[in-house]
Amino acid sequence: MALLEIRGLCKAFDHVVLDRLDLDVEAGEFFVVVGPSGIGKTTLLRCVAGLETPQAGTVRVRGTDVTGLPPYRRNVALTFESYALYPHLTVFENIASPLRARRRPAEEIRRKVREVAKLLRIEHILDHRPGEISGGQKQRTALGRTLVRDPDVFLLDEPISHLDAKIRHELREQFHHLEELRRTATLYVTHDYAEALSLGDRIGVMGPGGLVQIGTPEEVFERPRSLFVARHLGQPTINLLPAALRREDGRVSLELEGCGARLPLTAEQAAALSARTGDRVVLGVRPHHIALADGAAPADGGLLEARVELYEPLGAKGVLLAELGSTRLHVLTPIDVHFRPGERVRLAFDRSAFLFFCPERGVNLVD
Amino acid sequence: MSETSARLIRILLLAFLGVWLFFTLFPFYFQLITSLKPVAEINRMVPTFWPEVLVPGNYAGIFADPGSLKALQDSLVVALANTALSLFLGTLAGYALARYLKGPVGENLSFWILSNRMFPPVAVLIPMFFLFDNTPWGTDSYFSLIVLYLVFNLPLATWLMMVFFRDAPVELEEAAYVDGWKPFQAFSRITLPLVLPGMISVAMLCFIFAWNEYLFANLLTGTNVKTFPVHIPTFTQGSQTLWNLVMAFSLVAMLPPVVMFILLRRYMVRGLSLGVVKG
Repeated sequence: MALLEIRGLCKAFDHVVLDRLDLDVEAGEFFVVVGPSGIGKTTLLRCVAGLETPQAGTVRVRGTDVTGLPPYRRNVALTFESYALYPHLTVFENIASPLRARRRPAEEIRRKVREVAKLLRIEHILDHRPGEISGGQKQRTALGRTLVRDPDVFLLDEPISHLDAKIRHELREQFHHLEELRRTATLYVTHDYAEALSLGDRIGVMGPGGLVQIGTPEEVFERPRSLFVARHLGQPTINLLPAALRREDGRVSLELEGCGARLPLTAEQAAALSARTGDRVVLGVRPHHIALADGAAPADGGLLEARVELYEPLGAKGVLLAELGSTRLHVLTPIDVHFRPGERVRLAFDRSAFLFFCPERGVNLVD
Repeated sequence: MSETSARLIRILLLAFLGVWLFFTLFPFYFQLITSLKPVAEINRMVPTFWPEVLVPGNYAGIFADPGSLKALQDSLVVALANTALSLFLGTLAGYALARYLKGPVGENLSFWILSNRMFPPVAVLIPMFFLFDNTPWGTDSYFSLIVLYLVFNLPLATWLMMVFFRDAPVELEEAAYVDGWKPFQAFSRITLPLVLPGMISVAMLCFIFAWNEYLFANLLTGTNVKTFPVHIPTFTQGSQTLWNLVMAFSLVAMLPPVVMFILLRRYMVRGLSLGVVKG
């Protein structure tokens, strides 16, 4: 039995946000919900915390149905995206708040708050008020207020999204090491796919109405079940090229629209798609699955000529925007080559990583 | 703009401020010196603006007069009790309006409450007399004034507290619920401290109204209970008004609100460094 069990959860405001959502999070599991802003990730957390009442469905924690219980009768910890620190209380009192609510002895409160503060490296600001500390410290304080408890479920709402990149990375690393989070079930919400891939034991991609795909980070990233998932994960965004499946001399190949180029398919792809020859598809290729080729074209012809439109050197890698016929492609390049706009380059596609989607329904045709 | 016209504007501005300051402060100066004059000097035509003799006896007289002391005591009882009641009820009502009555119902209800403050008080003067005459305590009682002043102070307190509660982030209360606090605990431990500066401002406004009210106090009370504005006319004896006593007494009566204001001024500034939410 999963520690956190969500069944058929429905929540609508003026429009439907969650539509019959099912989710199990096991003890010790770090589950990340990723999705665009405004899609209902926070609403999901608020339903689990008891701050929203769902119209239908149940939330069970350790087998107990808590759906109708107010937040203060659930043993669930939540960090707010806005931190929601009490401005008139010191950092110490902010962190101590859940313990005081449970009437723990003063000695235990002092000890536990110190422990958590030490873990989060905010011992030196325990006497400060939230107005006097930096964004990163506020975030750690908010996190401290949840870690100090011994909750059944941790709910973390975009805990590091509003910090600058450096602190964000530092805190992301810290999440990997927080034993507290690894002991119980954690539901972590973010719009940042990198956070999701880095932190999640499993991730769930949220689309309109609920979770559209659940799986390990590798599964979801490598084998997105839909265009929505493919588009949402990855930076630069996955390249989506309209194409048509053709059969010639018994071999299935792909004709790209706009430039007319033909790409051969692997045997498995050809087998999976042979029934659809003649159909239009959307080809998905991630920027790191396209390489720059020099020298002669490989025998199978998976090489296309394109024109450089823009090149961004980003330190560790470069992002090339190339024009291929009437479509544009993002390509990740090693940093030692530079490109000028207008230059011609040859692109080699990693065919084994091709994804095929139905242009109308957006589903992955091979998966 | 040329330098001369800039100077001219500056001089005119200073002149205006000087006149304004004179009009504001002169009455207090005249009140102070009159309160220190002997009876012989107070009614002189072409009054003395720099008193010939200063006699502190007027103040001694007030503090020796049981009637004057009783008037100050009555004013304090009425004003403090009414302020406490207005604040208590206004805070709870304001919170309910801010948190639980959103939408048209809450808006109409809160506006109706505030609109009670808009009618001319004279319109209900006589009805109020008969109303309180029919209570067990009668018109001439602490009860009548304390309850009557709620008519004026409670709408104001409710409305203002509602505005302050609306400004206090709901998320903080939600965070408190998640921490394990029950609704009333979250209200008193988290939300109330946030609106404390507002509460103090409201308390000052209520106190000042109840402290200074004359019209209703004069009609309803006067024997058992006599607040200081009602007591002041008793310094007129026959055709002679003892202006020195009037001034001395009203100066003493000015002190409680002034002292309160000075003591509480720093809490009234809404400067409680909020830094609650990001940004």
